[in-house]
Amino acid sequence: MWEDTILIVFISIFTALLGEGFTWYMVYRTEKYQKLKAEVERQSKKLEKRKEAHGDSIDKQQKKKIERDEEKLKNNNRDLSLVKMKSVLFIGFAFTALLSMFNSVFDGRVVAKLPFTPISWLQGLSHRNLSGDDYTDCSFIFIYILCTMSIRQNIQKLLGFAPSRTASKLSGNMFGAPPQQLR
Amino acid sequence: MTSVKSGSRTVGTDKNGSISSIGKSASGELMSTWSRAFTANSEWPDKDEFLDVIYWARQILGILIGIVWGVLPLKGFIALLLFAIVNAGLVYLYFSTFQNVDEEEYGGAWELTKEGFMTSFAGFLVNFSAVYIHIRLKIN
Repeated sequence: MWEDTILIVFISIFTALLGEGFTWYMVYRTEKYQKLKAEVERQSKKLEKRKEAHGDSIDKQQKKKIERDEEKLKNNNRDLSLVKMKSVLFIGFAFTALLSMFNSVFDGRVVAKLPFTPISWLQGLSHRNLSGDDYTDCSFIFIYILCTMSIRQNIQKLLGFAPSRTASKLSGNMFGAPPQQLR
Repeated sequence: MTSVKSGSRTVGTDKNGSISSIGKSASGELMSTWSRAFTANSEWPDKDEFLDVIYWARQILGILIGIVWGVLPLKGFIALLLFAIVNAGLVYLYFSTFQNVDEEEYGGAWELTKEGFMTSFAGFLVNFSAVYIHIRLKIN
């Protein structure tokens, strides 16, 4: 059982590296992406500074300027997402296939024993395809999702591929997590 | 050297009475992020740099708490609650007492408290579960 958990940790490290490696090859190293990213970061910082300085002011001209900057930033963020789209779609398909393969390998197997009973709406995930009523028994998918949540984001941050905080905050992402994090 | 809080920045006074910012080397250059992270009342001109320190501290804390909780072993909802309290509490003490940063510069204490929390929680759960099974299997 313990070996299964460790194996799943390695699987998620491997898939995270594979995903990031592929995205780097397809997207991050391209000039278009780097230019757009630099532009988004520059605009985010500029907008944040402007908001800090004039956020509470009732000056119509300043408000208009902030709105215009926000619009520009939104457009650039959209362009950035479009550049990433192809790679995200490919990774989505590839990882879904990989996930279903691993799912069938670990099907019906208790890979871990949780030290707590998950809340009812998580039990469908933590006890997926497992027999018995012991809800501390844990399925592959639950551990895999937890590993991915932790490992993928840390790898992205270590490699410097995580989106900047200012851009995430201004585009309204809670917890600053990238949208493709769980894939 | 004595320290006084001046506005949002903490500055130190050396023996000659001249004021110098903590976290700077003798030549006035900023020390490395590592050194400043372990030096009390350091200067953080780049907000993102300090948020990164909080982020990684929290990830390490998540892994360590996971191992400790698994070894003890703690069980049930109380273990998760204790993780949240210890994790948030230690990080709060770090930025408010050790580093003495002005929370408002970072958008309030909540912004600093939630920085990297979910990632840290996921890492904690994996470590906690892995160590817990390992210890349980050994006992059995």
